[in-house]
Amino acid sequence: MYEDDEPQLFSERPEWKDVTPVYQYENVNPLAPILYSDEYKDATDYLRGVLKTGEKSERVLTLTESVIRLNPAHYTAWQCRYETLIAIGASLEAELRLMDPIAIKHLKNYQVWHHRRLLLTRLGPSAARPELSFLAKSLKVDTKNYHTWSYRQWLLAFFNDEDLWADELDFIEAMIVDDVRNNSAWHHRFFVVWASGVHEGENDRDRVLRREITFTKQNISLAPNNPSAWNYLRGMLEYNKIPFSNFRRFAEPYTQRSVAEDADVVDLENPPPTSQAQLPCPLAIEFLADIYEADGEIPKATELWKSLGDEHDTIRKRRYWEHRVREAAV
Amino acid sequence: MSFYTPVDGFPTSTSNTQRETENVLARHQPPTTPTPAAHNILHKQKHMQYLVRNLVQGFPERYQSQDASQPWLMFWTLQAFSILQVGLDPGNRQRAISTILAWQHPKGGFGGGPGQAAHLLTTYASVCALAIAGKPGPGGGWDEIDRKKLYEFYMSLKQPDGSFTVSHHAEVDVRGIYCLLVVATLLDIMTPELVAGTADFLRSCQTYEGGFASASQPYFGADGKLLSTRPPLGEAHGGYTFCALASWVLLRPYAEPNAPDINHKNLLRWLVQMQGGRSELGGFKGRTNKLVDGCYSWWVGGAFALFSALEPAAHLPNPHAPPQHHEDDPDTNANWDDVDEGLYDREALQEYVLWAGQHSSGGLRDKPPKGADAYHTQYVLAGLSSAQHRIVPDASRRAELEAAWADAPSEAQNTTEGPAWLDRLRPERKRVFIDALSWWEDKTAAKVLGGPGNTVNASHPLFDLTITHAEGIMGHFYGQTIPVKGA
Repeated sequence: MYEDDEPQLFSERPEWKDVTPVYQYENVNPLAPILYSDEYKDATDYLRGVLKTGEKSERVLTLTESVIRLNPAHYTAWQCRYETLIAIGASLEAELRLMDPIAIKHLKNYQVWHHRRLLLTRLGPSAARPELSFLAKSLKVDTKNYHTWSYRQWLLAFFNDEDLWADELDFIEAMIVDDVRNNSAWHHRFFVVWASGVHEGENDRDRVLRREITFTKQNISLAPNNPSAWNYLRGMLEYNKIPFSNFRRFAEPYTQRSVAEDADVVDLENPPPTSQAQLPCPLAIEFLADIYEADGEIPKATELWKSLGDEHDTIRKRRYWEHRVREAAV
Repeated sequence: MSFYTPVDGFPTSTSNTQRETENVLARHQPPTTPTPAAHNILHKQKHMQYLVRNLVQGFPERYQSQDASQPWLMFWTLQAFSILQVGLDPGNRQRAISTILAWQHPKGGFGGGPGQAAHLLTTYASVCALAIAGKPGPGGGWDEIDRKKLYEFYMSLKQPDGSFTVSHHAEVDVRGIYCLLVVATLLDIMTPELVAGTADFLRSCQTYEGGFASASQPYFGADGKLLSTRPPLGEAHGGYTFCALASWVLLRPYAEPNAPDINHKNLLRWLVQMQGGRSELGGFKGRTNKLVDGCYSWWVGGAFALFSALEPAAHLPNPHAPPQHHEDDPDTNANWDDVDEGLYDREALQEYVLWAGQHSSGGLRDKPPKGADAYHTQYVLAGLSSAQHRIVPDASRRAELEAAWADAPSEAQNTTEGPAWLDRLRPERKRVFIDALSWWEDKTAAKVLGGPGNTVNASHPLFDLTITHAEGIMGHFYGQTIPVKGA
C-alpha cells in the first residue's frame, strides 16, 4: 500500500500493464551516465515505450505530466504532450491553467514558455489578454526573466492587436519606477515604442520622441550611473537619426566632478544630477566624447577618452578607450 | 572613483544584489599587492579529478534535470579535458563513441539521449564530442553520422524568415542557428539552400544596445514577403551575442557583396561594457545591469576573437598610435605593456577565473559561493583559454590551406549519390573549409597570468574545439590533407 503523497511507479500501475517499457541503454555501457532516481527512470522508460508505439491518449498526458514535473527540460516529453493534446482534442484552456503553476515554478526553463506559445497560437487572440496579466504576475516573481519578457514581446507582436498594445507603456512605467536599473524593462520599452512599428495613439512621432526624451532624461537624473537609461537614450537617438550633440547641455553637468552650486535656475529641459549623484559619470563622459568626435573635435574627444582610461574607467575598458583614441586618429 | 559600482544614493533591487555580489567577490580579492603567487594558481589536478569523477562514476542525481542534455554533459566533459591538455584512454574513448551514437535519431540528427527527439543543440554537442573522441572507419563514430538524414532534418526545421526551430514544435533562437552552422561546417553539408535568409535573420536580432537577442519576430505583407519591421525578442545577451556573431562569421562565405552589415561599433561598445570593474574582479556579465558570471568569460570574452574576423585591423597595433601612458599604473607588470592588448582586459578576466571561478573541491563555477557544475567547468576554462591565447584569421595559414586544397575528393571519401550538398565542386565549399581553418594562434600575443604552469590549450573561437580536433574532423569530411603549419 502507498501513502497518498507517495507516487506510484508506472510499472506498478495496472492500467499501464499493456505498455512495454523501453530502457535507455540496451546494448551500451554508457560513459558519463546520470544517476537517476527510481521514479524518474520508471517514468522515462514508459515515455520511451509510448514514443515507440506512437500512442496518443489521455494516459499519455498523465505520463508526460509526470516526466515534466520531474524534469521540465525534457523537450521530447513536451513534444509528445503537445502532439497528444492536439490528437485527442483535449481542452487547451485547461492545459494552460494546468501549466500556470508549472511555469511560475520553472521560470528559467525554455519549454514551459514555448508550450504556452504553442497553446496561445491555437487559442487565438481571446486568450492573449489574460495571458498578459499572467505574465505581469510572473514578472513580479522574476523581474528580469529572459524567457518571460521575450514571450511577452512575442505575444504582443504575434497578435498585434491595438487593445493589447494599449496598456504596455503603463506597465513598463511601473516596472521602471520599481527598479530604474531593470534593463529588461528598458528593452521592452524600446520594443514597444520603436522597434515593433507605430501603434495606435502613437502616430505623432515628434510628440512620442519628446515624451521619450523627457522620460529618459528624468530617469538619468535620478540615478546617473545607470547604463540602461544611457543605452536607451543612445539607441533612441540613433534610431531617429538625431545627433547626440543636441544633448550636450544635458550631458555636461554629469561630466563634472560635482553638482554645480549655482544651479538656482531650474532648466526643466535638462534635469541636473541629484546631490547624491556620484560624479563624474563615466557614461556621460563617453557620451560627450562621442559628441566631440562626431563634431570633428578630436583633441577634445581624445582628452575625455584618456580621462576615462586613466582615471574614471580604468580597469574596465582602458584598452577600449585606447582603441577609440587610435581609431579617431586614423 | 568608488570601489563599488555607484548607487547614486538611489538603491534599487538591481543595485542591492549588485552590492551583495561585490561584497562576496571582495573576499576573493588577494590580500596584498602584488598578488601572492598562491592566489594565481589554476588547480588543474583538482579540476581533472572533478571531471574524471563525473565521467567514470557518473553524474549525481541532481543532473537528472539535464537528462535531455546528455550530449552536452559529454561534450563539456571531453572539451574540458581537451582544454586541460588531456586525452581519453582507448577504452573510454570507445565507450564515448558508442554512447554518442546511441543518441542519433533514426530520422537524422542527435537527441538529448537514446529515444529522444533530434534537436539542434544536442546535435552540436554530439558531433563536437565525436570530433574529440571519434575517428574515421567502422566504429569510429565519424562515418556512422548519417549526413543525408541530418541535412533533411535541418531543412525540415527551416522557417520562412531564414531562422530554424531547434526541434519540431520547438522554439526559434540563435543558439540553434549557431549549433546548426557549426555542424554543417564541420561535416561539409553547408549549402546556399540551407542558409538562405539566415544572415538577415541574425542581423535582425541585433538590439539598440549593440548585442544580440534570442530571436526576432517576422511580419509578412499581403504578398507574403517579409517586412522590414523585425523586432528583436528579448534584450542583448552574452550567450545569444556569441552565437549570433559566430554564426555571422560562419556565413561569410555566402555573404552577398553589398548585403547590409551588422553594426560593428555598437557591438564592440556593448561587448566591452559587459566586463565588470575591479569590484567584480574583471569578470563578464551577460546583460546590462546583471551580475558577472564565469560562463560569460567564454560567451562574451570569447566573442572578441570573433570580432577580429569582422575587422581584421582592429587587433593590430597601430604604428601611428600615440604613445601609451602606463606609468601611473604601478601594478602592471612591465611585460604586459608592449604586446597587443586586445580590446578588453585579458589580465583582469584571468584574475576573475583564478580567484573566484574555481571551486575548492574541483570544478569551476558561476561565482562564489556557488558550486561547480559541468557547464561552468567547460565554459570558464574555455574563457580562460581565450584570455590566454590570441587566435586570429592568419594570412600565412590561409595560404598554406589554399596551396594544399585538392578539388577532387580523396578516394577514402564517402561519395554516395545525393542532393546538392554532395556536389564536391561547388565553390563555397573550399571557402568554408579555408575560412574555418585559417584561425591560428599569434603566439607573440599569448598572456598567461600566474606563469606557464597555468597554460591551457587554445580553443577554436568559432567551434570551441581545439584546432587539432577541428582540423581532424574537417580534413576527413572534406577529403583534404591538412598541411603542417610552417612546413
